[in-house]
Amino acid sequence: MKDTVLAYELQQVSFAYHPQQQILDNINLRITAGSWVTLVGANGSGKSTLAKLLGGLLAANAGKIYVEGTEMNQESITHLRPRIGMVFQNPDNQFIGATVEEDIAFGLEGRCLPRDEMVERVKRYADKLEIGHLLSKHPAELSGGQKQRVAVAATLAMEPGIVIFDEASSMLDEKARGELQLIMREMSESGGYTIISITHDAEEILASDRAIVLKDGGVAADVSPLELFRNQELLSSCRLIAPFRVRLIQELSSRGIELDPGQDIEEVSEQLCRYISSK
Amino acid sequence: MSVHFEQVSFAYDDRSLWRHGALADVSLSITPGSFVGIAGITGSGKSTLLQHLNGILKPTAGRVKVLDFTIGAGDKGPLRELRRRVGLVFQFPEQQLFEDTVEKDLCFGPLNFGVPLEEAKDRASRALEMLGLDDSFLPRNPFHLSGGQMRKVAIASILTMEPDIIALDEPTATLDPQSRAELLQLLSRLQREEGKTVIVVTHRIEEMLPYAESWIVMKDGTPIFQGTPAELVREERHLSEAGLALPECIRLWNQLAIKLGLEQEEPCLSAEAIAERVAALYEHEVHPPTWGGGAGDAG
Ligand SMILES: Nc1ncnc2c1ncn2[C@@H]1O[C@H](COP(=O)(O)OP(=O)(O)OP(=O)(O)O)[C@@H](O)[C@H]1O
Ligand SMILES: Nc1ncnc2c1ncn2[C@@H]1O[C@H](COP(=O)(O)OP(=O)(O)O)[C@@H](O)[C@H]1O
Ligand SMILES: [Mg+2]
Ligand SMILES: [Mg+2]
Repeated sequence: MKDTVLAYELQQVSFAYHPQQQILDNINLRITAGSWVTLVGANGSGKSTLAKLLGGLLAANAGKIYVEGTEMNQESITHLRPRIGMVFQNPDNQFIGATVEEDIAFGLEGRCLPRDEMVERVKRYADKLEIGHLLSKHPAELSGGQKQRVAVAATLAMEPGIVIFDEASSMLDEKARGELQLIMREMSESGGYTIISITHDAEEILASDRAIVLKDGGVAADVSPLELFRNQELLSSCRLIAPFRVRLIQELSSRGIELDPGQDIEEVSEQLCRYISSK
Repeated sequence: MSVHFEQVSFAYDDRSLWRHGALADVSLSITPGSFVGIAGITGSGKSTLLQHLNGILKPTAGRVKVLDFTIGAGDKGPLRELRRRVGLVFQFPEQQLFEDTVEKDLCFGPLNFGVPLEEAKDRASRALEMLGLDDSFLPRNPFHLSGGQMRKVAIASILTMEPDIIALDEPTATLDPQSRAELLQLLSRLQREEGKTVIVVTHRIEEMLPYAESWIVMKDGTPIFQGTPAELVREERHLSEAGLALPECIRLWNQLAIKLGLEQEEPCLSAEAIAERVAALYEHEVHPPTWGGGAGDAG
């Protein structure tokens, strides 16, 4: 047990914004370094609150949070925070620079990087997120999805070992969402990042290693994404809806037509055509 | 026409219109009482377009006609009345909340337009309920809510104005999937039963296909498609041309349509409708129905 490196260990963590209303109640969690974990749950279930606790932006009322083995507290937080990158639910909350370029560079300035490395990193992450053409714009002049991509680039440019994405793809179109997911997958496969993402997006959940379902202040389930989408009761309890392909297979099955979910919708379509023309 | 754009161009910076306006020569019409979906990649001009509906932005060139108002370049116009009748929900809910309690935010619009306090409070409570939030939210600070709750309050604050046109900018972005479905059902009910014109910018075409009667696809500040859902499905290339991914339901229906000769049919797009259609095709067109028999096994 002690051998696996833990990015996070939470012991009996509780949190309330006001004493009358407990938001998180006695949470115990271990997150392996290098893993990709999704936090899911209904609106208001405490996902962003938990993310802020993990990022050291809020302090727990009770319990202990260990980051890579170090307990989070007043003293350790200054050393721990640079290891944790956060992309917030509303990107407006994290812009600092007067231009997109400054904004990405800002976080790097504190890192004492040589000037040319800084320039190189800004360029690399701007290209990765396809915002190279926006570098001289003011963040307020961007569309919602552009803001979201700038926020991701600024966070990734710091190359933190732990990255927390709070609905970072909510304002992206499906294609851009897929591209961000690909970046997350690359990060995950490189083994150098622990990823914690909050999302309602079925594809993004399915791409991760593990789904932690929050409900009524506690962890209602801690399962593989596939298990989550197979469990109708669990899905409705966290107000999720299965992806189209899964729902289609279920609808067909309830009409006596059994299909294999296959890899993509094209495989489903082929099976359906074969089925209809079968005698 | 509820909404009519005549060759509208808009540039955030006047001097750059000829280079990169956010809207370029937009002409479009929206029928009163219809439910319209607007799709397009990030930066294609959707939010800019929406903000022309109630005069927050005014065209740099061309004219916008909304209800009985006309807004052209440099017009001042009677915007107050326009803003009462056209409710606009912004992309970021923080942009439209400013009071220190949810109740004050919800009552602000109605009170501002002379609705008596009791009725305003009544509307506030009803609008919250429509969004699935109970009265315990009324005394809370809107900025101390979760992202999804804040968005629901922002939408409710528009509904309390009882506008004729409701325009929403990516309203489902941070809602959980059940709440997204409930919101679309609510909007559809307001459209069908109360005759509201509903205009929704979305990145999730698939979930709005059952509700929207017409679609606008934006690319580089210009609509490259305006038409019915069936036309959108048949002319799926417009989505690709706009840089958008094709929703799985459209891909599936079009493949079935080609292989099984269903091109002339009204497309089935929900999981349920497709399953139903497939079962019917199997039973009626290949295998005649039998007493008590199910659809049988795949061969
Ligand atoms: N600053 C705050 N002060 C008081 N209560 C808050 C504050 N922020 C959030 N809450 C409450 O805490 C609960 C959990 O909120 P949180 O933002 O963690 O939810 P979430 O799961 O991220 O939801 P969403 O999906 O809507 O973003 C909610 O009931 C919310 O109203
Ligand atoms: N306030 C603003 N000032 C200057 N440019 C802006 C502003 N808002 C948006 N833009 C630019 O206008 C274009 C269209 O943006 P927008 O209408 O927000 O797109 P969408 O809503 O389709 O994502 C984008 O290129 C964006 O960068
Ligand atoms: Mg949240
Ligand atoms: Mg927008």
